[in-house]
Formats: sequence, C-alpha cells, structure tokens
Amino acid sequence: MLDLPKRYVPNGASDSGGFGSVIYCKDEHLDRPVAIKFIREDSEKHRLMDELNALMLLRSKHVVQVYDIVKGESDSIGIVEEYIDGDDLSNSPIPKTSYEYYLKTLWQIASGIADIHGAEVIHRDIKPNNMKLDKEGIVKIYDFGLSRDEGAKAVTKGFKGTFGFAAPELIASGFVAFSRAVDTYAFGATAIVLSGLGLPDALQKIPPQPLPDNFMSTLPFKLTPDLASLITACLAPNPNDRPLMTHVRDLLSRHLLHNKHQALAVHNNKPLVLNSSKRTISLRFSDVGEIVIEYDGFRFYVSAVSGEVLINNQAVSVGKEIPKSCVVALGGSHRRANERQFITFDVSNPEVVL
Amino acid sequence: MTGPLNVNEVIDGRYQIKSYIDKGGMQYVYKANDLILKRLIALKTPQNPSAEKRFNRSAIVAAKVNHPNVAKTLDYFEIDNRQYLIEELIEGGDLEKIILQKVKYVDPYLVAKIFHYLAKGVAASHHVGVIHRDLKPTNVMVLSGLHVNSIKITDFGIAKMAEEELVEAIEDGEATISKSRTVVGALPYMAPEVISTPREVSFPADIWSLGAMMFELLTGNKPFGTGLIVIHKIIEAIPPEFPSFITNKAQFSYLSKKLIELILSCLQKDAATRPTADQLVEHCGTLCYPTTERYVGTVKEIRYNSWGFISNDEPDVFFNLDSVYGENPVNGSNVWFSKFPGDPNWRAHPVVCLK
Repeated sequence: MLDLPKRYVPNGASDSGGFGSVIYCKDEHLDRPVAIKFIREDSEKHRLMDELNALMLLRSKHVVQVYDIVKGESDSIGIVEEYIDGDDLSNSPIPKTSYEYYLKTLWQIASGIADIHGAEVIHRDIKPNNMKLDKEGIVKIYDFGLSRDEGAKAVTKGFKGTFGFAAPELIASGFVAFSRAVDTYAFGATAIVLSGLGLPDALQKIPPQPLPDNFMSTLPFKLTPDLASLITACLAPNPNDRPLMTHVRDLLSRHLLHNKHQALAVHNNKPLVLNSSKRTISLRFSDVGEIVIEYDGFRFYVSAVSGEVLINNQAVSVGKEIPKSCVVALGGSHRRANERQFITFDVSNPEVVL
Repeated sequence: MTGPLNVNEVIDGRYQIKSYIDKGGMQYVYKANDLILKRLIALKTPQNPSAEKRFNRSAIVAAKVNHPNVAKTLDYFEIDNRQYLIEELIEGGDLEKIILQKVKYVDPYLVAKIFHYLAKGVAASHHVGVIHRDLKPTNVMVLSGLHVNSIKITDFGIAKMAEEELVEAIEDGEATISKSRTVVGALPYMAPEVISTPREVSFPADIWSLGAMMFELLTGNKPFGTGLIVIHKIIEAIPPEFPSFITNKAQFSYLSKKLIELILSCLQKDAATRPTADQLVEHCGTLCYPTTERYVGTVKEIRYNSWGFISNDEPDVFFNLDSVYGENPVNGSNVWFSKFPGDPNWRAHPVVCLK
C-alpha cells in the first residue's frame, strides 16, 4: 500500500506508461500542484539519487523542476515534480506558425537539453511528447525518468526509448554504451518533426538510416545553410560527429539575436560603438598598425589588418572573430610605451526575447 | 550558536544543523545537511511572532520563483509549533558585506553585469506574479566573494512580512519608523508609493529599488541619503545627482552615461513611467560589459603619475591610470581588477581601489 506523506493530496488523476506510473497531487505545504512519478529503484540506487540531486539543483527555464523524492511501494521511489498545466508540444501549432517561432522553439529545447547536460545528466527520451508549453508559452522539457548518468555506467540492457527519435547506437541488443549525444540525435529528429514535416522514413527504419542528401531543403521553412547543416550534424550516425548542445543552442541564439549586439571600443579617449547601424570601425595608430572590425549581424570579426596588431597578445588574422572582451594592441612588444596604443573592446550580452 | 537550534540537532528526521549563519530582521538562518538528499541547504526559522504570522504564506510565494539569479525556496514545514523554511544554500555573503564594505564604489562594467543579472531575476519573479517589495543590498547574495561569479536575490518570502511591519510603521509615523530596524534598513531603497500608499504597492516598486541599489553601487552613495530625512526626499523624487568621477574618464564615460539613463528611468516618481523588468532586461542587454574574472592585488609602483604595476600571486600586472575608476591608487594601495594577456606584462582593466 502506498504511504504518501500527508502533505501530498492526490487529486484523483493518474497516468501510466513505459516509465511506470504518475499521480497528480496538491502539495499542501507549498500550495502548488505536483506530479509524482513512481519508478522502480534498480540496483543503481546511488546513481539514480545522484542524478535526481543534480536535477534538483538545476535552475533551467526550460526543464520541469524536480522538487523532492518520496518512498513509493516496495522497491519504487516517487519523484515529486513541478506540474505544468499546458499543451504537449506535439499538439501545439505554435512552432509551425512562423520561421521565428520555429527557431525560438528549437532554441528553448536546445537550451533545456544543454542545461540538463550541464548537470551531467542524459535525458534519453527527447521527443515533442515529452515537452510542454506553459501558460506563458515557454517550453518545458520533462519525463527524464529514464535518464542515466553519463560515464562508464551509461549502458542499458535492451532498448528503452522511442523509435524514430532513438539514436542508431541505442537500437542494438545487449548492453549498449551511450553518451549525451543520444539527446542530440533526438533533438535533430524533434527539429524535423516540429517543422510540420513528420518523421522522415530514414529515421523510422530499424536501425535508423542517414537522411537522404538535401533532405533539409524539403523542410517547410527555408533554413540558412549553417542551421541546415547543424541539424543534419545532430543526426550523424556516429555519436562523435554530433555537436554539443551548447553549440546548437548558441548557433540558434546567434540567429535569434541577429543585429541585436553592440560593441564598444575606447580608442584615443573616444568611445566607438559598433552595431547594426554602424557596422565597421577602424582602429589605427599612425603607420604602426591598423585593424578594421566589422559586425555582420552575427559576430564581430577582423575584416582587415595591417602592420603590428595584437588581440589579447595574440596575432590577428582576417576573418577571425573578436573575443567578447579583449584588449587590442597597436604596436609590438619590442616598441617603447609611447609607440604603442591599447584599445579595450567589449560586447553586449543580449538575451533571446521569447 | 545563536537562536533556538543546536549543532547536530536533526529537524523533521531529515535536516541536521551544521552551523548558525546569520539572522536577518525576521529570521534565524542555519546551514544544515539534508540527510535524505545528501546536500547542504539553508534552514530558516522565524525570530518572533510577527514573523511567524506570515512565514507560511511567504514561503508559498517565494517557492513560485525559479531562476538562476534567485535563491530557490525548496521546502516549508511546521514541527512542534515551529516553522521552517528550506532554501538553496549560498556560500558567500550579501552585496553589502562582500562588495559595499570593501570598495567605495563599483566600476560601470560590473554594475552593468549586476544590474543585468538582478533585472533577470526580478523579471522571472514578476512573470509569476511575485513582487519582492524589499530589494536592498543585504537581500542580494554574491557567490565567491569579490570574484562575483554569480548573484542571487534572496528573501522574497521575508519581503511580504517586512511589508506588514513597514505598513504599520509608516502608518504610525516617524517615531515607529525609527524604532524598526527592518524599516530603517529598507528606507533608502523604498519607492515613493511604498511610503505614501503602502497598501497599493506593485511591480514598479521593485524597479525603483533596483535603480536605487545600482545608484549606490556606481557612486558609493545612497541616492536619497540615509535616516528619516530620506522619506521627504524620496516622496519628492528629485532625481539624485551623479558625482563627476563617474563620467570624467573616457574609458568609463560611455557605459556610465548609459547606466545613469537607466538608473534615472527606474527612479521616476510616477510608477507607471518606470520600465518593466522585461524592458530593463532588454536595455541591460544592450550594455557592453565583460564577464571576466576579478582579482585582488597591491599596487607596487606608479611612474610618471600615469602607469604602474600591481602585484598579486601571479607575475606583476601593468595598469594605466586611465583604467582606474574613481580615486587613484598610491603605492601600497589594495586594488580590485580584471586583467588581459599582454607582453611583457598582462594589463589590468578596470582597476578600483579597495577601502
């Protein structure tokens, strides 16, 4: 018989699935709705607790919060989670309504997965059904009941997951080693599904096959070449070829923050501002050295350089991105102090507005 | 130990007290070990009956906010007629202790970063309908000391309790106000409407308090002074003056001017004309500030009244007086700085004197 702490009052609703069962309750102490998910405690109890602890420390806007652990029946434990009143992402028309909403949805999912990976946890069942949109339209990833720690113990017996989203390395018999790259693969599949296209045939094969060439051009939204190859890379058959989720998140935010950055250089006691309305500045010290910095709406980079120029004491080459905060030196270190000039360079830290 | 609890005492069969941390105006704070989840947490328990009255309600309110820049309320329970609140433990100290007691003022780069982080935390709380009501330096926690790696707003719960005391004191008049430690501590950051119509306070009151705090960081002064005289100055809301050192150096003037604009927009008498927290986050997103690490060192020489070297554990770091915010250091001054690779020496920028 289930002996739930008195503070959790079941509201009568419940659910069950491959992961176990879930009941919906009200937490009387903190006056909030919660979902308590019961899963079997396997032989790796310590690992599971470590992982739940990691998730409890997570402060991600895009991951459902884990509040507490309670004892379940016999050999199961209950994970007390934030209850989100909202639509499942697989039922939501929002990502499909415009390219901007599509990218914003992908960015939120990528941010959530990056946060989960940052806590050294693997989700293991990323798919649109495991994400909700809350009342403010914010994507929340949940249902990481199957998740396993990364590392030597990240092996699973047989297959637990969702066909179509599961990486090829998971579709194998016996003990299968896996890494956080399984979430990256599932993110790639999710990105295709959320465009409205449905799961491609290649991903539904067992084991899943690589996408046909130029598949990305069949998407309802015309992705820029870098984003198309990013999503293709997420679905790479070899897990080592898939990008880190922080990289996926950052590339998506680069597009969402297009033309929103500012940079400030202070040269000869004058502030020089770079942004979408002033795209180029030149820093020059007589004939000692000159650097031209340009903003292309995505990044600040070196568009021309001549003479002696160092950034954070490193040599400079054309095309290179300028560090977010640095000192530009005009004149090499062999020169006397009055033959060198130093310029501080800082960029802004805009946020994606949802 | 101070307060009602003892070291090693176990509360609710789960939280083992490790040490006493502090007491705010309303509650005792302990460091404790969560024996079930094997983690350290902060355990808070009310100090007096007036704090008890609202402890539960305030825990419920605070628990709604989930953001990296807000200290998370983890749990609330009552045992043997005593109330307990479990909060994320932040090892460090508050903005007052960690920063304002160590430096006279903070350079605009770091002010911009702190402003941005706090605005994000406040925006997250406003999105779930929670007003802090008592934002002040002692309610902002700073991780890892002068490195300022992270910033978290705390005591959302307490704010609502403090409010009752505030309302009472304000309605009773100046004699009561000056007796209440809570009120005196909060006054310099209080919006005019908190004083004139304390029962009708809303989100813009937090925006005012943020502006007042940022004024203090940037200038070293409280925008309307201290003591009871501030009441009249706040109600008049005459825009405070910024000392000239904030803008008189080229390295800082551009960012300082942007910050002054933002701070003044927060300190508008008419609550409706202040920016929302979301707008503030967006404005802060246009500020150019680095997130580089901070160090502490000692100035070992200054030459030609224009440049010098700072020694700390690493090789000496070069600095130019153009990079100094505020008062110039002298030989032997302790300074707070960021540094960038350089040859033959790394370069410090910015540099701020420690007290």
